[in-house]
Amino acid sequence: MTRFAIAVGAAVFAVVLLAIVAAMFGHDPRQLLAILIEGSVGSPFAIQGTIKKSVPLLLTGLSVVIAFRAGVWNIGGEGQFITGALAAFLAAPMGWMASLLAAAIAGAAWASIASLMRFWRGAPEVLTTILLNFTALHLLGYAVNGPLQERGAQYPQTDSVPGGAWLGTIESTDLHHGAIIALAMAIAAWWLLYRTREGLRLRATGFNPSASAWAGIRVNAQIARAMAFSGALAGLAGGIELLGVTHRLFERFAAGYGYSGIAVALLAQLHPIGTAASALFFGALVTGAGELQRSAGISSSVAVFGQAVVILTLIVFGSFRRND
Amino acid sequence: MLRLAHVTKRFGATLAVDDVSLDIGPGEIVGLVGENGAGKTTLMRMAAGEIATDSGTIDVEGTVELVHQHFMLVGDFTIAENLALWGVTSESPLPDPSRKVNDLSVGEKANLELAKAIGRNPRLLILDEPTSVLTPVETDELFRVMREIASRGTAVVFISHKLPEVLAIAQRIVVMRRGKIVALTTAAEMTAAQLAEAMMGTMPSGAPAVSAGDARRGRRALHLSSLTGARIDHVTLTVHQNEIVAIVGVAGNGQDELAAMLRGLVKPKSGAIEISGSVGHIPPDRTRDGLVAQMTIAENMALPSPRWSRAAAIRHAAQLIELYSIRARGPLQRAGGLSGGNQQKVILARELDRRPEVLVASEPTRGLDIESTRFVHAQLRAAAAAGAAVLVITSDLDEAFALAHAIQVIYRGRLSERMSAGEAASRVGGLMAGVA
Repeated sequence: MTRFAIAVGAAVFAVVLLAIVAAMFGHDPRQLLAILIEGSVGSPFAIQGTIKKSVPLLLTGLSVVIAFRAGVWNIGGEGQFITGALAAFLAAPMGWMASLLAAAIAGAAWASIASLMRFWRGAPEVLTTILLNFTALHLLGYAVNGPLQERGAQYPQTDSVPGGAWLGTIESTDLHHGAIIALAMAIAAWWLLYRTREGLRLRATGFNPSASAWAGIRVNAQIARAMAFSGALAGLAGGIELLGVTHRLFERFAAGYGYSGIAVALLAQLHPIGTAASALFFGALVTGAGELQRSAGISSSVAVFGQAVVILTLIVFGSFRRND
Repeated sequence: MLRLAHVTKRFGATLAVDDVSLDIGPGEIVGLVGENGAGKTTLMRMAAGEIATDSGTIDVEGTVELVHQHFMLVGDFTIAENLALWGVTSESPLPDPSRKVNDLSVGEKANLELAKAIGRNPRLLILDEPTSVLTPVETDELFRVMREIASRGTAVVFISHKLPEVLAIAQRIVVMRRGKIVALTTAAEMTAAQLAEAMMGTMPSGAPAVSAGDARRGRRALHLSSLTGARIDHVTLTVHQNEIVAIVGVAGNGQDELAAMLRGLVKPKSGAIEISGSVGHIPPDRTRDGLVAQMTIAENMALPSPRWSRAAAIRHAAQLIELYSIRARGPLQRAGGLSGGNQQKVILARELDRRPEVLVASEPTRGLDIESTRFVHAQLRAAAAAGAAVLVITSDLDEAFALAHAIQVIYRGRLSERMSAGEAASRVGGLMAGVA
């Protein structure tokens, strides 16, 4: 329960700090908070906007949960998100299911490059996954300016994916089915971690690799599988964002979802179900910040500020522990 | 000079130093020997004021310098800069003091570390395993320096595993075992073999607890042929069903590598391991390799199983807790919260519950209290009686004699021939010290 209290405390602290900073710049913090709340959960439209933003955050958050639980520092969610989306785009003519499958496989493959570098040459995955982010980003930039650029070659973006691959919406809302997939993934991740032998061994490896090896776990294979699971979730996030929201690729497609997943997972204390709540919080922050920009002229980068405050608060108050 | 009276120190459940009293006079060179975890370093760190005592008093005249086993040097600084950092103004002991420490040989670093300590003119100088990284020539040079500063009235404490060296340099020898001083003599009165015995346990006075005839030996279950690695050298060994074989030796003679090879964590350079049936393992370093401290007892017990269901694991753990009388609040208690003895029981329960045909137990009772030690021994004997082939790798002679049907001594990675406990009683000390 203390871990829960710390998480809620960090979230509240982030909002309070935002209000204080707003006051320092001469805004009325109460009015701004009202806009933030109104813009994120104040209407059915706002709530749907929040959920839509939460979907990729939940999936990249889960990706980080799986990796960090196994003790492997996958900071490469952004790159895996992009490669997932690229693969989903290429497979889209075969329908949404094949497209999402391709996204997951591509994300897993991209993450596994870091595993290979770790096992062959001992390269730390913190570095390799970050560098693979830039590689993926430039790959995307090349694709949308080159081979995948839209017909007419007017903007650096792709054509829209075929309508048949678009994710449908949940009845009487404009929420795409990716929301259901993401929620199912949260439950699946919980099941994997706490109800399967794979999850037991994954967590053991994260806590104490040498005791795990003595207990008969093949630690390297375990880490490689965790990394692949993790990459698959981030890749899936990219595929869902493409088929459910943007329908086309462009240079700034990833929009930091991969990195934000780290904040989401840390606020959730690396718990899959908590990650759903944490993703909603950050989704609301992003959506509310958009409203702040529109109605109060305050840059929506306050959402990023909020994320940073949450991460720092959690690190300082020592809840960033990997014990469950 | 240095007077310790009834000094005691606990770390958690472990009694690291237990009511130790010791006087050291000026100009004396004292050898301090004992197994890993015997309390030597803890005692000397208290003498140097690095850690506080729990009880007892320490009187020191003048300053104390403790030279650690691991170098405490700034690699990117030069020799002169490192000396200056420690406020040492005396001349560099090494030629060309503008060289960076990173470029020095291990022996030169050790020399610099020593110069750092001596440069501060201590009245008492403590050297923790200083020769472990030195060549014989460098060791001779170190001994020359030690004698020289002792002749100027500085007392020197020399902590070491290497018994011939201790006998060569020390005037007095203090032997520690399980936190207590078990022997205190002048070097002239002791041979290396006697020293090894004092360090590792008392020799059996009467008949050995187990005689070779006790085992109704079954078929061969574990066989190592000419197993060779970085630290072990052509190890050949056989353990039969119903039999307990002990490998004894002073720590650091290749035991850990042998255990890791048997677990499959280290690949042998050459030689072969033949095992018939399943194997259970008790790792040598319990805190690091034994259990996942953050996970529950139930989860730890289930780690090696081929299947896992949470409910079944909890039920099973509850049974094992009962069966092995583990003192725990229940299967959902975190393993890290258990005492050392109970952690070892959890490992033992997990490994024995699978009824392995072969059990390899490394230091199975290191750091355990008497009651837990007896329990572990009883379980190992029961496993052998039930048909398992048990290999115990230990640095505790008492343990070897209490358990084993046959004993082999490991020294510098080589294994002695197989001896019955009766034969071993007269020879083991010499073999362990490498003088037989």
